[in-house]
Amino acid sequence: MQLSGTRARISLRVGDPGLLAAFLVVAAALVGFVLYPTLRVLAYPAVSDYLAAPHNTRWIAAMRNSLMMMVLSTASATLVGFVYAYATTRPNLPGRTAFRQVALLPLFAPPFMVAFAYILLFGRQGLITKQLLGLNVNLFGWQGLWLVQTVAFFPYAALIIAQVLEAINPTLEYAARDLGASEWTLFRTVTFPLARPGVAAAMLIVAISVLADFGNAVVLVGDMPLLATEAWFRIEGLGDLSGAAVVVSVLLLPTVGLFLLERVWVSRRLYTAITGRGGRLTRPPTPWYFLTPLLVFSIGVAIFVLLVYVAVLAGAFARTWGYNWTLTLDHWRLALGQSGPHLVNSIKVGVASALVTSSLALVAAFVTSRHVFRTERALDFLAVLPAALPGVFIGIGFLLAFNQPPLVLGGTPWILILALAFWHIPFGYQAAVAGMKQIDRSIEEAASNLGASGLQVLRDVYLPLLRGAFATSFVTSFIRAVTNLSIVVFLVTPRNLVATYAILSMIGGGFWGAAAALTTALLAVTFVAVGLARVALGRGLRGLPAG
Amino acid sequence: MRRVLVVITCLVLGAVIMSPRVQGQGGKVVIYSALDAPVTNEILKAFERTSGLQTEALTLAAAGTLATRIRAEKVRPQADVFLGGSIDFHAPLAKEGLLDAYKSPRLAEANLAPQFYDPNGYWTGWYIGALAIMYNRDRFEREMAPKGIKPPATWDDLLNPAFKGQVVLPSPITTGGGFIFTAAQIFRFANEDRAFEWLKQLAQNATFTPTAPAPITLVSRGEALVGMNWGHDIRAMAVNQGFPVELVFPPDTATEIGGVSIIKGSPNPDGARRFVDFMLSRVPQDINAKYGLRYPTRTDAPVPMGMPALTSLKFVAYNRQWAIDNMQRLREKWQSVIAK
Repeated sequence: MQLSGTRARISLRVGDPGLLAAFLVVAAALVGFVLYPTLRVLAYPAVSDYLAAPHNTRWIAAMRNSLMMMVLSTASATLVGFVYAYATTRPNLPGRTAFRQVALLPLFAPPFMVAFAYILLFGRQGLITKQLLGLNVNLFGWQGLWLVQTVAFFPYAALIIAQVLEAINPTLEYAARDLGASEWTLFRTVTFPLARPGVAAAMLIVAISVLADFGNAVVLVGDMPLLATEAWFRIEGLGDLSGAAVVVSVLLLPTVGLFLLERVWVSRRLYTAITGRGGRLTRPPTPWYFLTPLLVFSIGVAIFVLLVYVAVLAGAFARTWGYNWTLTLDHWRLALGQSGPHLVNSIKVGVASALVTSSLALVAAFVTSRHVFRTERALDFLAVLPAALPGVFIGIGFLLAFNQPPLVLGGTPWILILALAFWHIPFGYQAAVAGMKQIDRSIEEAASNLGASGLQVLRDVYLPLLRGAFATSFVTSFIRAVTNLSIVVFLVTPRNLVATYAILSMIGGGFWGAAAALTTALLAVTFVAVGLARVALGRGLRGLPAG
Repeated sequence: MRRVLVVITCLVLGAVIMSPRVQGQGGKVVIYSALDAPVTNEILKAFERTSGLQTEALTLAAAGTLATRIRAEKVRPQADVFLGGSIDFHAPLAKEGLLDAYKSPRLAEANLAPQFYDPNGYWTGWYIGALAIMYNRDRFEREMAPKGIKPPATWDDLLNPAFKGQVVLPSPITTGGGFIFTAAQIFRFANEDRAFEWLKQLAQNATFTPTAPAPITLVSRGEALVGMNWGHDIRAMAVNQGFPVELVFPPDTATEIGGVSIIKGSPNPDGARRFVDFMLSRVPQDINAKYGLRYPTRTDAPVPMGMPALTSLKFVAYNRQWAIDNMQRLREKWQSVIAK
């Protein structure tokens, strides 16, 4: 483990044209597609609307509640994610691959469906709580939301932390053991400190996702004001774009705070683990007294996650979900008949936006790590900013910004693809930045001593080593794009309808069976697409279940 | 090699995605519909048959979101027609200058009562919905009947302390139905403050859901005992689906008028006008009555199956113009006084 601070940085001269070009492309993309729409939305309300905000007691309550949920859900989701990631990176845990696959499932959650599934299972008349356990549980309220958010967001933490844990060189663990460290001391002094950048990155992403969580909140805490839902209420109920813009800009305050905190805590140190020297050993097996509780924990979490999807599957085949369990294929006929083409569109949009996200995120992470151009901090912020903005904000921003000259994208699929792509940049960016932190500078030094330019360093040194980060970001962005609803609602066009829109339509009409069927179909298609992507991106998927 | 394959795949995908970009509007009518998909599809199919024009629709049972989208697309409207949703959403758009006025030649033949169309021609009403109370029959028989409590039949019954925590209504802030319910109480008491006192008491008993269909789902599955929603939705989504739900129209209920309007600056104004002409005919109103169980505005159209005749229901004296004009203020008042 090394600490930086005094280590001299490689500074590639500004005369390096390839690097300059990359910088300009990244800067133009981020400014044009992140900053510009954001400013369009922020500039929409009048100054008086902003000044009136602190006097709005409901919005103060919303801020308080959002912060409370953020603290609670981030803590629990990161904790669960960490233990889960730790468990699944122990080489002798039985069923590791299966556990990792299960952890991906909550990412596939179209809004509303999963929250309703929870109510079906764990509500007052819930299958589990009432029929099985005889309890009278009220899931509505912040406690229910806390539970659902923990399960919904722990995969983000698990994915990021698992990637970091996997990259820790086993020789460090062997050395510690040789020196007589117990399992717990090993964890405390070697594993956890090395995993800190991952934990910090995970907490940032989870915290911001919780702040912006809309689908679960709407179903479970309709009464309790929250910042993310207030924006939607303003739009749906009052048609008040100005008020929505004000509420969302209030959301930016805690986000900026979190961002600064993470930068301060993590960025001051380097956590070099990939040194480019020496071979890789397999990790030593974990003793049974550590492994058994980990296994039990993983099984518990996995069952919890799977139950919800089993409920959705059951809903697709049952005549009336939760009431009449006779099997039928009618829902499937309705769903696929109407929405077969929508599924195809979802995949197309997902692939295109995920490619844009992952490629741009990687190049952006590289550019901002060069510390050559003074504006890195700004680009860094722009790359993480979209995670703080609720989908509604992005949807409206793109609609306001790109439905008119100079760049007219409205009416084409590209407005939706780019909105989704740039909304997901923070995930790819954080993964790439965390991955980069682990790569020793000496590899790069060696390359540039041999005459490599900036872009050649990117292509030959970082790209191969960051394949895992690229793959993780591609898969995460793809899944999120395919299951997104909040942006889709504003940017979809009649010609390019996607599956989540159709699901919402069905729910709105009360056709739960068909919605469940289409959700299952979407899940299946997404799984297949993710499998294909993993095959195409080949070996080196360190952050993903590689079997 | 793999890199080459990836690049080729990207190019192919790009080409595939770019291809359906044919914009050709020629004769196409684009519709934003706030109705459910089956009704919308039937109506559009019928329109295509009779007019020979092609249609494209964005169907979302969230009229407020569609209205906001129309606002945000102001500079370059994507759609021609705003279909469905109560005129509480169409009228404000007209005030903001986002709609085109059009007095259809069919109006005389349709013989609508004057409250069903805008005198300036900005919107036309083609269906009516009435608010009703619903309750879960099974749970009622199991839990309430033994205590001698009778099923709810009037708005005041919703305040019954026996139902505490078991009542669900759509939120007045985010749904048209919830708002009309609130306004109806104001008209019932003929006094805004008394009405808000009553609503405060209701809020002790009830939960307000942000989406309109949610109360129906909750009562159907027994998660809640009593609720309120549009009569036609209760019937179509709960009763006709086999759930143990009863619906009853209280004696001072309120209605919504479902509208259709033409968006200003739309790509195909001519097609939009022909669509409005079509909406005034019997065909769409019959379709809506059949599939959506909503009441038609034309007097010569039949009553939806299973629903009581509109003339048999008793309504509160509802001043629609006042309600629309005060919608913003009343919703904000609700937010600050009742929803904490």
